[in-house]
Amino acid sequence: MQGRAVVAGIGESAYFERGKSPLTEFQLALTAIRAACADAGLEPAELDGFVSYMDQRNDPLRLSAALGVRSLSWTSQPWGGGGNNMAAAVQLADAAVSAGYARHVVAFRALAQGQFGRFGQSRMEGRRSGGDFAYEHLYGLLSPAQECALHTKRFMHDHGISQEALAEIALAAYANAQRNPRAIRHGQPLTRDEYHASRWIVEPFHLYDCCPENDGAAAVVVTTPERARDLAARPVAIVAAAQGLGPTYGISGFQGDWFPGVFYRDVAAKLWQRAGCTPADVDVLQLYENFTGPVLMALCEMGFAAPGEVEGFVRRGLAGPDAALPFNTSGGNLGEAYIHGFELVNEAVRQVRGTSTCQVTRKRVERSLAVAGPGYAAGSAVLFGPA
Amino acid sequence: MTRFLGDDWLLPALDAKNHAWFTSGSLSLQTCVRCAVAQFPPEDACRACGSFELGTRASPGRGRVESVAVVHHAVHPLLRRSVPYAVALVALDDAPHVRLLGNVLNRAHDQVAIGDRVRVVFEEVSDPESGETLRIPQWEVAT
Repeated sequence: MQGRAVVAGIGESAYFERGKSPLTEFQLALTAIRAACADAGLEPAELDGFVSYMDQRNDPLRLSAALGVRSLSWTSQPWGGGGNNMAAAVQLADAAVSAGYARHVVAFRALAQGQFGRFGQSRMEGRRSGGDFAYEHLYGLLSPAQECALHTKRFMHDHGISQEALAEIALAAYANAQRNPRAIRHGQPLTRDEYHASRWIVEPFHLYDCCPENDGAAAVVVTTPERARDLAARPVAIVAAAQGLGPTYGISGFQGDWFPGVFYRDVAAKLWQRAGCTPADVDVLQLYENFTGPVLMALCEMGFAAPGEVEGFVRRGLAGPDAALPFNTSGGNLGEAYIHGFELVNEAVRQVRGTSTCQVTRKRVERSLAVAGPGYAAGSAVLFGPA
Repeated sequence: MTRFLGDDWLLPALDAKNHAWFTSGSLSLQTCVRCAVAQFPPEDACRACGSFELGTRASPGRGRVESVAVVHHAVHPLLRRSVPYAVALVALDDAPHVRLLGNVLNRAHDQVAIGDRVRVVFEEVSDPESGETLRIPQWEVAT
């Protein structure tokens, strides 16, 4: 048995640069959830489940009260990491609905980092560092960018990958953002020269290899196909979803056989088996760019390219609706907004609906894939298609 | 200044699992009493056989640089004086599946390369709270 639920509605708040949201984080969450309900033609009071990830601060008790939820049946969050769980959140909603434990589950992410701590800025307080982080922090390795840089540097070294491969990821995201009025980088195109001239954050990542920090919220309403028939929007099927982690352990994936890597081999095996298709069948891809380097590794581990061929793969083109593999068509974390990847879930749904600002035109989209954050475990991915 | 990132840089919060690592002056690798597999970071059970009987053994502390990240953007105010600096990931010769982080004390940030042979050295610092001498593993390119 696997999930059979559908997405009945999508919604988001306006997206803001970090600290610039006039709404509180809780208000952003409510805005996105209400928008997803309105899109579905569902009264928010009829929601009966909430799923999020990354230790979501806006908990279901507060949300239920503010939304007038009559009967709450399901709350859950996957463990660990961060944006790696964006697709796992959709999978949990699918599981709750498919098993009949809840009828209308919203999966969402809301963040206003200006109002709280900055995720990924520096995970330490005071003058002591304990647990596994001590083995990193004492050496000045404190941020996800730095951890991912160690993986990326070795991956590039092993496979002869140049800086241009990283540039392709950033340039595609910025190019696609120019088509998307929601995108924070809309009206701010990026040239290859500007990319290379931008300052180093941590080699091999320039400024434009790193996603910005943003405030906003995005949400989807998940329900059964039967129920969706009575709702307003054309439903989009959750064709397959997977959360996965092979045998690994320790800090930041540095130990054992998984270095260099991003924890997606196991996700890929499960996803393609459940979906009954292969990467070649994917019409459009949304792939979480925390940093450009992990995107290259995730493309390889998900089966889109072999490591020795991935630079050629991305150089054949990722930008625009007619790219060889249309990629992060809303602008992604780099260009649209860093809502910890949930904006990519909404965009993957839009591609099936035919409503993206960078809509694939050469065919009707039948397989629209969203891959969550690479480099932190466990990874997750969700494949959408026509219901 | 005796520490690579400054004498006021972070100290480890010592506990039962990491005390030997940060004080013994040798690379005190957690090792399973039953199956003899070394593991890092330390855990409450052996990841190879599940045993709770765990001891330590001293690694010779020789290894090879597996990767290096040159940090230019300081994510902590105390690191502004140190950037750019390199953080190396080192695989131990005697336990290649164990990879340890560290700074390479005898090389400039742009002179640390994948494949460099390194040996462990220790930064000694007196813990201002306990008075205990901490010995924090670091690396030197072996010449």
